[in-house]
Amino acid sequence: MADVIKDVPITSVVVEALVVMKIVKHGSSNFPTIATGSIVGMDRNGVLEITNSFHFPTVETSADSSSSHQNDASALAVAAPRQKANIAYQNEMIRHLKEVNVDANNVGWYTSATMGNFVNLGFIENQYHYQKDNEKTVAVVHDVSRTSQGSLSLRAFKLTPAFMAAYKEGKFTTESLQKSKLTFRDILQEFPVTVHNTHLLTTFLHQLPQAPQPDTLEPPTSISELKDDPSRQPLYPSVDNLDLSIDPFLEKTCDLLLDSIDAHYNEVNNYQFYQRQLGREQAKISQWQAKRKAENAQRTLAKQQLLPEDEWQRLFKLPQEPSRLEGMLNAKQVEQYSKQVDGFTANISAKMFAVRENLLPKHA
Amino acid sequence: MVLSLSLAPARHLIRISKPQRGNQSFATVLISVAYLAHNPITAIFAWQDKDKEQTALVPASPSPSPSTSTSTSTSTSTQPQPHIPAIIPPTGILPSMAVESEKFLHLSRPIVPAAINLQGNIAPLTVNIQPQAIFSILDHAVRRDIRDTQSTRVIGALVGTRSEDGTEVEVRSCFAIPHTENEDQVEVDVDYQKNMLALTLRASPRESLLGWYTTSHELNSFSALIQNFFAAPDTGTFPHPAVHLTISTDPTAEIEARAYISAPVAVNAERASESCLFIQVPHRLLHGDSAERSALEAIASARDTEERAAPIVSDVEALTRSLELTAGLIDRVFEWVNGILDEEEEPNQALGQYLMNALSLAPKVDPAQIEQNFNNHIQDVLMVSYLANTIRTQIDLSQRLATANLAAGEKEGEGKTGEGEKGGDQRGQRGGKRGGRGGGRGGGHQREPRESAE
Repeated sequence: MADVIKDVPITSVVVEALVVMKIVKHGSSNFPTIATGSIVGMDRNGVLEITNSFHFPTVETSADSSSSHQNDASALAVAAPRQKANIAYQNEMIRHLKEVNVDANNVGWYTSATMGNFVNLGFIENQYHYQKDNEKTVAVVHDVSRTSQGSLSLRAFKLTPAFMAAYKEGKFTTESLQKSKLTFRDILQEFPVTVHNTHLLTTFLHQLPQAPQPDTLEPPTSISELKDDPSRQPLYPSVDNLDLSIDPFLEKTCDLLLDSIDAHYNEVNNYQFYQRQLGREQAKISQWQAKRKAENAQRTLAKQQLLPEDEWQRLFKLPQEPSRLEGMLNAKQVEQYSKQVDGFTANISAKMFAVRENLLPKHA
Repeated sequence: MVLSLSLAPARHLIRISKPQRGNQSFATVLISVAYLAHNPITAIFAWQDKDKEQTALVPASPSPSPSTSTSTSTSTSTQPQPHIPAIIPPTGILPSMAVESEKFLHLSRPIVPAAINLQGNIAPLTVNIQPQAIFSILDHAVRRDIRDTQSTRVIGALVGTRSEDGTEVEVRSCFAIPHTENEDQVEVDVDYQKNMLALTLRASPRESLLGWYTTSHELNSFSALIQNFFAAPDTGTFPHPAVHLTISTDPTAEIEARAYISAPVAVNAERASESCLFIQVPHRLLHGDSAERSALEAIASARDTEERAAPIVSDVEALTRSLELTAGLIDRVFEWVNGILDEEEEPNQALGQYLMNALSLAPKVDPAQIEQNFNNHIQDVLMVSYLANTIRTQIDLSQRLATANLAAGEKEGEGKTGEGEKGGDQRGQRGGKRGGRGGGRGGGHQREPRESAE
C-alpha cells in the first residue's frame, strides 16, 4: 500500500480557501517579522490537498525581553518549525484536530516572505527537516509584500531528490557538485498552486458584493443617496492591482539585490581565502616532498634505508573547502529576484503607458 | 427536569436531560413571560424585531431602512412581544452576511449581576469577524461528524481580541469542539476545549477566548447551557460577556450570521444553568488590509467555476482582468450618458452630479511634466530590471565557473576574462579552477560601479 502511494509523486498543490486566509492573515499581522506555521491535509493521486493550518508559537523563546529585536524575532520564527517544542506542539495540535475530522496528516509548513526573499539556509533546513521524514511535504511561501500589491502570491516548494541526497551527505564541495551536476536551479521544485473552495464557502462568496449586474438599477434621487450607499467593490475581479506605486517596489528590490551581492562577495572572499590557504599548504607540501626526495636520493647513494615519502599527510593539514551551499542559495535567490522584477516590469510599464496615453492623448 | 453534571473518567461532559414533552418544542419559540409563569421550563429569549414600535422607543437612533429589514428577517420568532420590553431592550435588524453589516439599532447590553460592582459598562458591543473565522466555521460545518449524533449543528470556540473598554471584539480565529447532541442531552468535550484553547493561545498569546459559535440559528436550552458555560467565571469569558455566533449552514438558504450576548435569567435557582437571555448584537465582517483583499480575490475567483477551484494567476493576467472590468464599467457609463444625450434614457440629476464630481478629480497637469515623470519612472523601472538580470547572469556564471568541470572550466574561462584564460593556460587543472574563480571575482568588480548607480 505504501509503495503504491509512493509511486505517485506530487504534481500540484490544492489549497483550501481557509488555509489561504489563515496564512495571509498570519503573515500580514506579523509583518515585517516572518510568520511560520504548520499545514495539514492529504495527498490524493499526486495532488496534495492542504486543508488546514495553524501557527507555530514563537513566544516562549522570545520571552526574554532582550530578543525583542525584529531580526531576532524573525530568526526565531524561521527556526520555529525545527524546534523540539514546536514539533511536540504540532503533534499535539494535529491530534486535537483529528478529533474534529480535520485531515490529520502533516504535509509541511508555511512561511511568509517579503519580496521573495525566502531562499536561505533556514528555509532549506526546515524543508529538509520535514522532507526527510515524509517525502510528500511542501513548503508554502506567502509573499506578504507582493500580495499587498494586489495579487495573491502563494507558492509551494519542495526540495528535489538530488538536493536531498546531497544535503544528507552534507557535502557541497566543488568535487561533489561536479560529480552530481547539481546547480542552484535544481534545489527547489515548484508546484502549481490552486485555490479550492468548499460548497458552503461558494454559497457564502455569492453573497458577498458582486460585480455590477447588467440589469437596470433604480436611479438615485439625490447625490447624498449615492454617497451614503457607495456601491461595494466586488472581491473579484478587484481593481486594487491598478495601483501605480513604483518606487517602493524598486527600492526594496534594489536593497535586496545589494544584500545578495554582499552575500556573493562574502562567498567569493571565503573561497579565495581557502584557495590561498590551499595554495600555501600545497607549496609547503611540495617543498617538503622535494626535500624528502632529495634526501632519499642521497640516502640511496649512501645505501641507507629510505625515508617514507607519504609522511606529509600527517605533517600537513589541508584546509577544509568551504561549503558551496550558501553560494548556490544566493544564486537561486538572485534568480528569484530578477524574475520578480521582470514580472513587475511587464506589469508596471503597461500601466504607465496607459496613464501617459490617457493624460496626453495627443501621443496616441 | 434533571440536570446532571457527570464526570466521566476520560472527559468531563455536561449533560442535561429534558423531560419528554411530546412534540412540544421550546427550542425556537419565543417564550413570553406569561407562558413562563405557569410552565417554567426554559427561559430562552431570542428576540429579533422588525416592527416600528420598538424603534420608536429610541428616536435618536438611526431608523432601519425598510428594504433591509424585510429582506433579511427569516428569523425563527418574529412575533413582537409588547408585554416584555422591560427585560428585552434591544431591537435590531438582522445584519445580513455582507461585508459590512446593515444598520443596527443597539440600545444596551444586559448587566451581568455579579459584575455590577466590578464594572458598570453597559456600552453597546460590536462584534467584528475576520473572514478566516467564518471560513473556519464553514469548513467545520462541512466536516461535521454525522455518525453518532442527531444534531446537524457543530459548535466551536471563538478566539480573538477585545478592545480595552470591551465595547468591541474581534473574532480572529476559532476552533471546533466535538460535541454530541440528541433529544434530551448534549455532551460537550470540555477537556478538549480547555486543551485546544491552551494550544491556540500559545501560538497567539495576545488573543483570548471570546465565546462560541454554532452552525444553526436555533437557540434552545442546550444553547443556553453552553452559553453559560462559556460565560462562566472559571471556564469562560467572565467578566466580559461571551459572544455567541450563529451561522446558518442550511444548504438551501443563504448563509447568515447572527451574534448574541447573554444575560442570566431564570425563574428559580435550579434552572439558572440552562436558561439565559440571548440578546442580539451587531456584527461586521472585516476584510482589513490589501493583502487580505487580494487573498479574497483569489478565493472569489473560484466562485463561478464548476470545480470550485482556481489557479493562482500571474500579475499580468490579474491586471488584464482588472483593466477589462474597468473598461467595461466605463463603457457602461458612457453608453448611459450617450443615451441621455440622444434622449433615449431618463436623465438623472444625482448621477450627473456624481459623474461631474468624479471627472473633476482628474488632475490638471503640464504635459511636459507628465512626459518627464513618465520617462524618469520608466527608466528607473527598466534600469532596475536590467540590473537585476545582469546580476543574475553574473552570479549564475560565477556559480557555473565555480563548479564547472575542470576541462570545461578552461573553455568557459576563456570566454570570460583574460585573467581566467591566462590562469587556465598556465597552470593546468588547478590553475584552471583558480582562473575560473578569478573570472567570477572580476565580474564582481565590474558590478561595483553599477550598484552605486542604482
